[in-house]
Amino acid sequence: MRLVLCAVSVFIGGLLYAVPNMTRREILFAVPLPPDFRDRSEGREAISAFRTTIAVVVLACVGLLLFLPARLLGAIAAAMPLAIVLAAGISFYQQYRKLAPAAVQFKRLREAELTAQPERLPWFAWLAAGPFVILGAAAWYLHLSWSRIPARFPVHWGANGQPNRWAERTTRGVYGPLFFAAELCTWLLVMALAGWFGSRRSPWRSVVLGLLVTVQYLMGVVFALISVQALLGLPVWVIALLPIAVLIPVITITINKMSQPSGPPDPTPNECWKGAIFYYNPNDAVLFVEKRAGFGYTFNFANPWCWVLLGGLALVIASAPFIVA
Amino acid sequence: MDSAPRLRIDPASTVPVVRQITDSLRVLFVEGRLAAGTALPSVRRVAMELGVHFNTVAEAYRILAAEGWLEVKQGRGAVLVARTAPALASEAWREDFRSRLRALLAQMRAQGVPAARLAAELRGVAKEVTRT
Repeated sequence: MRLVLCAVSVFIGGLLYAVPNMTRREILFAVPLPPDFRDRSEGREAISAFRTTIAVVVLACVGLLLFLPARLLGAIAAAMPLAIVLAAGISFYQQYRKLAPAAVQFKRLREAELTAQPERLPWFAWLAAGPFVILGAAAWYLHLSWSRIPARFPVHWGANGQPNRWAERTTRGVYGPLFFAAELCTWLLVMALAGWFGSRRSPWRSVVLGLLVTVQYLMGVVFALISVQALLGLPVWVIALLPIAVLIPVITITINKMSQPSGPPDPTPNECWKGAIFYYNPNDAVLFVEKRAGFGYTFNFANPWCWVLLGGLALVIASAPFIVA
Repeated sequence: MDSAPRLRIDPASTVPVVRQITDSLRVLFVEGRLAAGTALPSVRRVAMELGVHFNTVAEAYRILAAEGWLEVKQGRGAVLVARTAPALASEAWREDFRSRLRALLAQMRAQGVPAARLAAELRGVAKEVTRT
């Protein structure tokens, strides 16, 4: 289990290590800069400082995970990813502050195509139905195998791989995780549609839609596997490593796409970006804008619909204790 | 296949965005690049693409509707209508137009554009106007 935890720490560190490559070349640490800035000494130094911080923290975490006594492992396991993310966040913000004085404003000219053609979703949007089918199939399998389900079965496992929460063979205990996953997938579907119809036309729209559908599948499969684990006796590490196995190719493809020449960057005004990552512009009708930190879209927090979507997520999370036994 | 005409604005310009939108659309209408019966994109879509508030685009559509170019229907977008030219503008209006044109030319001269170049530009524009 120590090795799995180390792998998770290294994976999270690797993801964060790649953050400077996960934005357009014209953006570094959320600061719009000339495209050649990354090749200048200031750019290289900023990237190097950020990555060194992550490497040091990941190595420290791996050391602790390998050599700590087993009784402390459970307590520290959850803190490790948080420590890595926190260190990366602080280092990111430091680099942002350092580079901010060199920021340039993207060309502000904007244009709109004067066509009233309805916007069509890409064909793969229909694949968003798949996770619901998977969850439905798992529920049907559980229904058919009801008598074989143990009276008490594990639904949650600790960092040491041992079960630490159990459910009973009741409707809520058996179908609860599936229903919760269906809620999550519904929210992701709404986000995907809002992202498509609430953002400017850009090649990234379909990529982001595809990513959200992938995350939907990930949720659907993980929760379906957790639900049938008691019947099939699947090893826990399969369920734990599945997200990593899915995310590695997704992140690789994303980085690859980001490095390709693309359309011009979204010319959002610099003054509307708060704290590097929050966009607030009441004079912009859009709901989602292209991120300046990382890949994808972020909310225009001045658009009231963003609070409806965030409220929806809060409701989904708040409903978990009532749905999952 | 010809792509649809595009509406361009510069948010950094000193010209108000609503005027930039109405001016750009009017040019497209006058030049015949958008024919009567053409449906314009919704206020929401144009506002999102241009990065401006819905009200700004709605106001531009209302101004053009008042000029007789558009028919705006609640919830059904705007459609370009066949417009009959109004009676010849009054002398006061023409004087105002001349004054604005002179101010624009003075501005261009102040920016260092040579008089010969300005005259050539005006001839080019005049040629386009008489063609449409």
